[in-house]
Amino acid sequence: MKLVTMMAQVDDSKCKGCRTCERVCPVLAIKVEHKKAVVDPERCRGCANCEQRCPEYAVAMVKRDRPLQVGVDVHAVNYGEVVDLCAKAGLHPEERICYCVGTRAEEVAAAIIKGARTPEDVSLGTGARTGCTIECIQPILRLLDAAGYDLVPPKGGWQWYGRTATAWDLSEALKEKYKSRGFYFEEDRAVLDQLVAEGKKVVKPDAEAY
Amino acid sequence: MQRPIKPIAPKQSQYGIDPSSVKTRVAELPGIISVSLKELFPDLPEVIYPGENGLARVRQAAVDALSKVDMGMIKPEHSVNVLASHHGFTLLGGEPYAELLMAVKDAIEQRTGCSEIRLRAGVGMRFRETEEYIKRYGLGAYYSNKAIGVAPVDEGIPIETEIGTLYGIKKAYDADWIVHVHHTDVREVHFHRQVDKAVKPFGMSYARIETRSTYHHNLGPRGANFVARAIFDSEFVQKKFAFAAFLNIAPNGIVGVDVDNDLYAMNDRVTFTGCRYYGKIMTLFGQIDECIAALDFPCPVPYVFSAGVIYANFTGANTDLYDLEAPFPPYTWYTEAYYGKRGKPLLSMILPINPAIKMCVHNYAWGGYPSAFFAEQIPTLVVGQEQADLFDRDPLNPNYMDYATVIRSTEAAMNFAYRATGVRKVIIFDGAMGGINVSEPLAELLEAKAPEVSDRVDHELLPKWLRQRGVDLSVLKQRA
Repeated sequence: MKLVTMMAQVDDSKCKGCRTCERVCPVLAIKVEHKKAVVDPERCRGCANCEQRCPEYAVAMVKRDRPLQVGVDVHAVNYGEVVDLCAKAGLHPEERICYCVGTRAEEVAAAIIKGARTPEDVSLGTGARTGCTIECIQPILRLLDAAGYDLVPPKGGWQWYGRTATAWDLSEALKEKYKSRGFYFEEDRAVLDQLVAEGKKVVKPDAEAY
Repeated sequence: MQRPIKPIAPKQSQYGIDPSSVKTRVAELPGIISVSLKELFPDLPEVIYPGENGLARVRQAAVDALSKVDMGMIKPEHSVNVLASHHGFTLLGGEPYAELLMAVKDAIEQRTGCSEIRLRAGVGMRFRETEEYIKRYGLGAYYSNKAIGVAPVDEGIPIETEIGTLYGIKKAYDADWIVHVHHTDVREVHFHRQVDKAVKPFGMSYARIETRSTYHHNLGPRGANFVARAIFDSEFVQKKFAFAAFLNIAPNGIVGVDVDNDLYAMNDRVTFTGCRYYGKIMTLFGQIDECIAALDFPCPVPYVFSAGVIYANFTGANTDLYDLEAPFPPYTWYTEAYYGKRGKPLLSMILPINPAIKMCVHNYAWGGYPSAFFAEQIPTLVVGQEQADLFDRDPLNPNYMDYATVIRSTEAAMNFAYRATGVRKVIIFDGAMGGINVSEPLAELLEAKAPEVSDRVDHELLPKWLRQRGVDLSVLKQRA
């Protein structure tokens, strides 16, 4: 869930149509048309990537007249499917995957069950990856992969490139080679296994406590 | 015990409030004094900065160290990317790191005849932060307008590693050679646990989002540190790596400059410094039984400094952050991830945030880092509506003010904290150089505990910490 209070606004007099904003937008909300960047206010989730990377300083973040509430209700899907998908991706359903927005794995899983097919769909629906836009890309890709979807980055974009290794992918040879240097690969994998096992025991969505 | 040390001044930045809005520093209030780190731990090294002609001494140390490193691989027709990170600019006011970056450029130019020398300064989560530093310290002009900030959402480049494909920032690597300019300050021990700290920027500030997310989500709290090593050891990076130049820093200031073609040799020295000197401060902070923590530094909430220790580490000072047998620091992102919807850890092995912190007074700290978890766990007073509004606009902190409350002034915040907690011990994270600004009762506690802590680190903890990291002390001694 995210209450989107800000949105991007382009100053046409500064924009040179370089497309940097297009390439870094996690929800594909900004596009260059007729050599000028145009923001779709309904899609913008207020992450400020365009404002932060525009080489011409042509984008500003402005307050929305009316905040936009986005999110996927985990009660609206079969929660058993959510738990299964999270376990397949090596995640606990209540695991917080987006540290900025606070999105948990169960909400991303629910978004996928309801039809999200790409990280961009997930971000648009849940608001995840619209804060720093950095740290949560891998668990989102892991959940989409676990659901069986092909991971194809946006054409020409820099939003994301691909999935990477997890604790379950490391070879025995690698673990043996570096075990004396403080990496604790096996021990960490055991901790993650324990977390996933705990996650499989969850039978219904809990209420968020405040 | 002396008068308070002047805190680091507020800085103009898009990530913080206007410096003119910071009306009062916590260190200016009655009852605050300072404690010298050298008095607490007499074995801390002598420093060249802060001190008389400090910046000139940093430059001289850099010139001397750079004169000894092999630059023979760099030819006049080559290009060189000098890689920097935002963290260095937050140390001791930022000028020493900028001075080192200038000295590196001059040394390469003079010794190799190469003129295509660029500065590529990576960031954490505030994508224009190093742009601000490049302007503030005149690095753009110094690098002949070839200095830029690079961010993890910029165009990437795949790097084949021992754990598969990872991704770097293309502009960090678009030269024949790279020079890694960093420092030995420990900063995020909760993340790196002093494992491969010298290598870390290869998996972080020089890396793309996919790589950084691998670090923070995919490999576990200790195994994650392999990400940087995987990238650095790749054929792609090894072919470009020329040398590394580090500010050698201890909690009380800059000791010198370390330059080496062998980053792993340097890494062992960094591990030793980080464990021995910073380990003492952190272990001492773990002795604090109750306190009010005041944040008062031009950095995001977790990065404000006291005695070389950042607030994020203080929130885990109830445990031994250097002990790798413990998987989870009380604060790290893996820990935060594993707090369930009821606000409790999903695994019983996760210990609570440092219970000694009874209240946090957020007098001055920036946004640009997800900080809601701190306010969720620790009662937090934010000074001034302007600062609260800043956090409400910040895409990384949409929920921070759901947990923190606004209070009109620094004086009112501290008075409220004293009354509400009944605690008189105050620790201020304001970057004071060479010492710590604290209240008198806390100063007394620190002075009483320091000798025992020093002895325990030297004889019990340090040998264990080094053993866990595979660092052979005898090898370090041979090189010294």
